[in-house]
Amino acid sequence: MNKVMSNKWMITLYILPALLLLLILIYIPLVLSAYYGLMEWDGIGNMKFIGVGNFITAIQDMKFWSSVYHSFLLALFSALSLLAYLGISLILASNIKGSDILRKIYLIPMLLSSVAIAQLWIKVYNPTNGLLNSFLMAIGIDNPPAWLAEPSIVLYAIFIPILWQYAGFYILIYYAALKNIPESLVEAARIDGASPWQVAFKIKLPLIKGVFKVTIVLAIVGSLKYFDLIYVMTGGGPNGASEVMASYMYKVAFRSYDFGYGSAIGFLLLVITLIVTFIVRKLTVSDEKELQY
Amino acid sequence: MRRLGYVVLYVILIIIAIVQIFPLIWLFLFSLKDNQQIFAKSPFSLPDHPHWENYLKAWQGNIGTYFFNSIWISAVAIVLTVLFASMATFAITRMKWKLSKLVLGLFMVGLMIPLHSALIPLFKLYLSVNLIDNPTSVFLSYTAFHLPVTMMILLGFYYTLPKEIEEAAIMDGCSVNLLFVRIILPMTTSVLATTVIINMIYNWNEFVFVNTFISSDKYKTLTVGIQNFVGQYQTDWGPIGATLMISIVPIIILYIFFSNKIVEGMSSSAIKG
Amino acid sequence: MKKLKALSLLLALTLFLAGCGSSNSEVEKDTASSGGTKTIKFMHLWPEGTNAAQNKILNEIIDDFERENPGIKIEQEILANEQYKDKIKVLSASNQLPDVGMAWPGGWLQPYVQGNKIASFDDVIDSDYRSKFVDGTIEVFEVDGKTYGLPTDLNIAIVYYNKQIFEQNGLEVPTTYDEFLNVIQTLTNNGITPIALGNQERWTGSLWYMYLADRIGGNETIVNAVNRKQSFEDPTLIQAAEEIQKLVDLGAFQKGYNGATNSEAESLFTSGQAAMYLTGTWALPSFTQGENFTQEFKDSVDYFKFPTVAGGKGNINSFVGGNGGLFVAENSDVKEEAKRFVKYFTEKFGERALGEAGIIPSYKLNADDYDLPELYLKVLKDLNDASNITLFADNIMTPGPAQVHLDMIQALFGKEATPEEFVKAHEEALAKEAGE
Repeated sequence: MNKVMSNKWMITLYILPALLLLLILIYIPLVLSAYYGLMEWDGIGNMKFIGVGNFITAIQDMKFWSSVYHSFLLALFSALSLLAYLGISLILASNIKGSDILRKIYLIPMLLSSVAIAQLWIKVYNPTNGLLNSFLMAIGIDNPPAWLAEPSIVLYAIFIPILWQYAGFYILIYYAALKNIPESLVEAARIDGASPWQVAFKIKLPLIKGVFKVTIVLAIVGSLKYFDLIYVMTGGGPNGASEVMASYMYKVAFRSYDFGYGSAIGFLLLVITLIVTFIVRKLTVSDEKELQY
Repeated sequence: MRRLGYVVLYVILIIIAIVQIFPLIWLFLFSLKDNQQIFAKSPFSLPDHPHWENYLKAWQGNIGTYFFNSIWISAVAIVLTVLFASMATFAITRMKWKLSKLVLGLFMVGLMIPLHSALIPLFKLYLSVNLIDNPTSVFLSYTAFHLPVTMMILLGFYYTLPKEIEEAAIMDGCSVNLLFVRIILPMTTSVLATTVIINMIYNWNEFVFVNTFISSDKYKTLTVGIQNFVGQYQTDWGPIGATLMISIVPIIILYIFFSNKIVEGMSSSAIKG
Repeated sequence: MKKLKALSLLLALTLFLAGCGSSNSEVEKDTASSGGTKTIKFMHLWPEGTNAAQNKILNEIIDDFERENPGIKIEQEILANEQYKDKIKVLSASNQLPDVGMAWPGGWLQPYVQGNKIASFDDVIDSDYRSKFVDGTIEVFEVDGKTYGLPTDLNIAIVYYNKQIFEQNGLEVPTTYDEFLNVIQTLTNNGITPIALGNQERWTGSLWYMYLADRIGGNETIVNAVNRKQSFEDPTLIQAAEEIQKLVDLGAFQKGYNGATNSEAESLFTSGQAAMYLTGTWALPSFTQGENFTQEFKDSVDYFKFPTVAGGKGNINSFVGGNGGLFVAENSDVKEEAKRFVKYFTEKFGERALGEAGIIPSYKLNADDYDLPELYLKVLKDLNDASNITLFADNIMTPGPAQVHLDMIQALFGKEATPEEFVKAHEEALAKEAGE
């Protein structure tokens, strides 16, 4: 057994295709972009080596730090929202009537492209004829806010479509994990007189703990580099109130033509994400040795 | 009491379902309107008169080619991603070697790279091997960038696979390849279906890579079709809605198909297990 | 031994990757050289979907050029605005600019010229060519006395207004800023949104600031400040910023203007829910003939020139605007052919754009020759009488300061920055860019 499963040739064969693609298409660009981060470069003319100059600029750049803060908030909310998705998945995966059709419907928004989702939510948030404010005015709230124009609100307003966009992704993963639990285990517990709640908390949840931890990491990493809807719906505005790390990086590199500085921000984004992931792993890895992700 | 609880639960579930299906209805209404109705009226108002010509406009041009490219490029990328990710996850979780943790760590870092900082280096890389304006660059990028997330999802499931099965198989003289193809892959059908759905959605809606690496119309994909209605100063939203509506149909059908596979996969692997 | 095997596998995979590429490029080279055909790659953002007439002219001019120049083929790539700008960025960083692409004057052009990425047209254009274009439209593409772009369309920003709403509220077209403020006051008193503004996109609000700066400080102040001939912390530039905030306080803009897209703002105006809308003359084709709009709207849309401010240095015939153009890549394999094509294209486009697509070109033309809606004739006459055109802010400034400007515009409109902070941020960004 051990011999077969530790055959170096087989291991190489299995790991290599993925590893090669990773090294060539992700690590080479990564190293190159770290290298650009040391340059003063508009992405057009000649590069000038300025050492850690861009990184010093970043440390002193309030706009950068406010985008870091916004990204952290998004990561926090994304991680918290996982609990709600888990709850929905528990219901869908239990054999209640119509769960199959409900599950299919629940995941439909996930299929929409960001272009469509952005347009939808722009219409939800429209201050005068949008869905949200029409509803609020109908129930007697006189002057509901302009959601995407108020600097104090816009960040939270934009989080909702983002969380909503990804709900289907996590529900799908949880659902598959829950369905993966052998029916016999659940059946045995039921025969022993366990209530549905007990089955959920004592049997199902512990069994999908590994999957849950993976999704925490995915949610946090995904949030810290999130870009799409923010760019389309608010452009990071008004005045940077909804700017996140990735949108700021994009603006600096592709709009202000400061490609060196943009690359430095991209590299810092990676470092920050690495540190956060490391901490989260430390916090979530329990005594079990199995899950060393 | 219990009955009442169920009624409340169902009411909530159905309300969520309605909320979740609304976007599709909205998109359909959107696709039948013109700019003025789209922006100046309530999103769920019915179009004054349905602008079916939006679909006609959307269908003009090269949308057929785009459609075909979207399908085959997505499909190739999905197959490569899911296969390579399964192989790598199998090697990392089931085989015994010293560097497995390190390699896993490398893949995890791959999750964290922001797309836009990789764009210029990637372009230069493809340029140096003559893959610019070649669909290979697109599906290779899709594969590489989605391998880490696919592996992460697979990982949680691979750890829960009972070791006994493969031990028994190896005892019976089964080779590693046979073990992987005949036993591991079938046992993970449900999570494979999950990752297929996720990759399908990513690839189908992606446009930054296509836009950057492809110049010839004959290789462009559906997401680019939208750009035909985005002018320098003004945008014609109705046909964009129609294009989005057309492009979501195949993905809904495939989604339902693979979504059923998740459940089927469970039951069939349960029988084998 | 095993290591060797792994290595050879790695090699094989790399070769496989490279193999796909090289075989493919050979095919391309074969077709490129067959019969000595030269291909000019032309990247632009004029899709058929948004202006079919424009796209038709484009294709006909290309066909004509190909017919007159056997052996040259034009290959088009059409992108949307944002995607075009992103792609140009990646391409220039990799030295792969298309042979011909769209150029914007002033600040946009500078980095490309300094980076030696685009070619000058001085060897193909003569005084005869120059005389065919509106004064200044070629000059805006000049850097250090050389011309790096040839002009296509020309746009100025004008205040569109709804005649019907003005009549219903007993309002006259304002010619002075005080009258304009009165119009706004009356409209707000009557519960009508005076101005539609989609300031999520920021350049929209910038138009308002640019006009006020022009009317108060004259057309040279802001240009001089950008060119570092004077400070941006000029009293007139501060006053212009103050006026913006006064407009905000008056309730001149619709609710949520700072988070609204330009599409949203435009449809507020075109559906009669707002009385005025400041945008470019590029809206004329759709406002006068577009199938998207009701006849009622087309009958009630009109425009006026941005009013003059009492005591200000600007005059009413000065406009904020700009023209687009085309560039040729310096490292193009077909540079000479590409330049000839651009020269040919800009002339033919100039001749045909207005009559066939309703696009105002940078080309000198006689308005009487065209059978056009009244609104066009008015614009053409005003253009003819124009004393000055100040470029759009994101055209006069280089990309770095331009982004600061756009961000500060949003802050100014949102009252998150005082007029003093607004000009200070500009001054700092411009000074930094100039290396002061």
